[in-house]
Amino acid sequence: MKRTLIVLTILIAALALAACGGGKAQPTKASAPTQASQSLQAAAPTQTPAPAESKAVTLNGAGATFPLPVYTEWNQMYPSVQPNVTINYQGIGSGGGQKAILDGTVDFAGSDSLLKDDQYAKMPDLQMLPMLAGAVVPIYNVPGMDKLTLDGPTLVNIFMAKITKWNDPAIARLNPGVNLPDQPITVAHRSDGSGTTEIFTSYLGAVSEEWKNNVGVGKAVEWPADGIGQGVGGKGNPGVAQAVQSTPYSIGYVELAYAKSNNIPMAAMINAAGNEVTANAETMQDAMAAFANAFDERLTAKIVNAPGEKSWPIMGYTYLIIHMTENKDCAKTKALLDYIEWAISDEAAAKKAEELGYATLPAAVRDLVEAKLHEVTCNGQKVLQ
Amino acid sequence: MSNTQSLFQQKNDLRHRLGRFTNHGDRFWVAALFGSSLLILILVLMIGWEVWALSAPSRHAFGWAFISPWAKAAWNPALDRFNAWPAIYGSLVTSAIALVLAVPFSIAVAIFLAELAPPLLRTPLNYMVEMLAAVPSVIYGLWGIYLFLPKVVHPIGAALQNTLGVIPGLSTFFGGPIPASGISKLAAALILTIMVTPTIAAVTRDVLLAIPRSQREASLALGATQWETIWKVLLPMGLSGILGAVILGFGRAIGETMAVTMVIGNTSGGGYSVLKPGYTMASIIANEFAEAVSDLHSSALIEIALVLFVVTIILNAISRWLVMRVQRKTMGR
Repeated sequence: MKRTLIVLTILIAALALAACGGGKAQPTKASAPTQASQSLQAAAPTQTPAPAESKAVTLNGAGATFPLPVYTEWNQMYPSVQPNVTINYQGIGSGGGQKAILDGTVDFAGSDSLLKDDQYAKMPDLQMLPMLAGAVVPIYNVPGMDKLTLDGPTLVNIFMAKITKWNDPAIARLNPGVNLPDQPITVAHRSDGSGTTEIFTSYLGAVSEEWKNNVGVGKAVEWPADGIGQGVGGKGNPGVAQAVQSTPYSIGYVELAYAKSNNIPMAAMINAAGNEVTANAETMQDAMAAFANAFDERLTAKIVNAPGEKSWPIMGYTYLIIHMTENKDCAKTKALLDYIEWAISDEAAAKKAEELGYATLPAAVRDLVEAKLHEVTCNGQKVLQ
Repeated sequence: MSNTQSLFQQKNDLRHRLGRFTNHGDRFWVAALFGSSLLILILVLMIGWEVWALSAPSRHAFGWAFISPWAKAAWNPALDRFNAWPAIYGSLVTSAIALVLAVPFSIAVAIFLAELAPPLLRTPLNYMVEMLAAVPSVIYGLWGIYLFLPKVVHPIGAALQNTLGVIPGLSTFFGGPIPASGISKLAAALILTIMVTPTIAAVTRDVLLAIPRSQREASLALGATQWETIWKVLLPMGLSGILGAVILGFGRAIGETMAVTMVIGNTSGGGYSVLKPGYTMASIIANEFAEAVSDLHSSALIEIALVLFVVTIILNAISRWLVMRVQRKTMGR
């Protein structure tokens, strides 16, 4: 009796094992050929027109975090345009990106700030290409106030800590009929070095000589409001937004893209032409168009305090940095140039960027970039025809 | 039965035979252990050398004025002027407040857990303390911003500013008003208090538990009450271990970056008042290093790392010395 039981259990166990094993083995055996044929089919169309391009290319870039949301989206879209090109972009900061391309550890770099002369001296073939523009907006938190208008000098004086109360006559003059509270202004700013701060301080410096000389323009400055104990630093756009939202009677600045996606109240500005504007796609395009001829031979331009009728005044370009002549791997160079050309000219790419709150290049600037792309050489040969 | 015995013998034989190949034993282990400890020393020296060398431009440009409280306080990357005193002060004052508040509290927790807690309470409480010690600091920061700062720190700050803040001598350190968001050095200090308490409490508890039972029994047998046993026998015996726990807590407090940077306000202009925003050494490095503007700027940040390194070493040395003194005293008795 016992023995039969044992035999039975062994039999059942063996059957179960066989069933399991068979079940697993079968599909792998069967699927192997179909997978192979599928991958052959998938590879075939790209292989036939251009055999030289069939080699998979991976491009590595790193740098500015300001355009990171757009680049991430673009890099996900790009394989549907060029299946054999993979693009990696790491947001490590503009300074980090510049260092990486100088050290030769990346194929391209992203940067909001311009290369310095000594960096050009080390690598004269580096080229900055404008890719997108972004706007910075003043955000505020004043209970009971749902609209705020400021002009350049007033904004400077607030951040200079010369205007320290919300009911200051200078603010009152710009906001007639608004009940301004008799409360001290808390100024929120970035605690980390940032392209956003560079754009914002560029604008303050463009409006005020005093700001330019005494505080300075850059990715990090010493905020005068900190000196009187009314300043607060936050890390990143979320840090500043959080500081403003949790501190009544405060003002700060963040990227338009961030303010938009988080529904933070933004101030309107009186621009250089004297018109009241809010930050949006139209006013950004207007500012870029107003500065279309401002590019120097390095293809860089400052676009703050634009003179156009509808120009949003606080803006900046973000750039890619590439090599013009020192290229060795021509397949890689070609893939990079194709990618950049696609990014600045493709409609879907442009739509994605605008959705995210960035401005795409106006036609005149795009032509400048494309002309530059056609000058790039690899081992002495022009890469694009 | 005989079967298992032979298996045992076989195993022993095998071990014996293998031993011939592996029992270079002691010499090998001594070398390995010595090598490991040497590696630690080399690591410390290398870190020290690296921050010393990389901070050279900043050291040459500013000299001692870099860490001087009397130099005009400035941290201006745009104009390349740097003075680290506000960050040094911020680090020291927040860590000091955190320790002053956390040490008595966590020793009390440890005594309760080791000596007094009924078993039913002990297990869950032990578990909680250890869990709190392991919570990532960014979570403390988030919780701080949204709940702790407005609901707890701001009222405490407001109370301090109305009491201590009006006393002439103390108004420098408790002068208000505290920002409505609660963002201040006090907020950082209180968050740090909460963060170091479980660390100090857990280690202190282990120290107390490691004291032999016979010591307690002897003390009680001599007629001491439980309180006298704890106060006069256990705490003095465990003092060097408890000091070690405090050092560990201090290390966590002065090195903490994320939670502090989220609540301290990140400005070098807050002055001496703990109710105003400020900066710490660790948080200024974390904030600015990635996008340092100029070479002098990154060099200045590295010099802050050097200062932090030196401060930690000095404080460690002082506490080592304290431990040694205490040990000698208790042994001498």
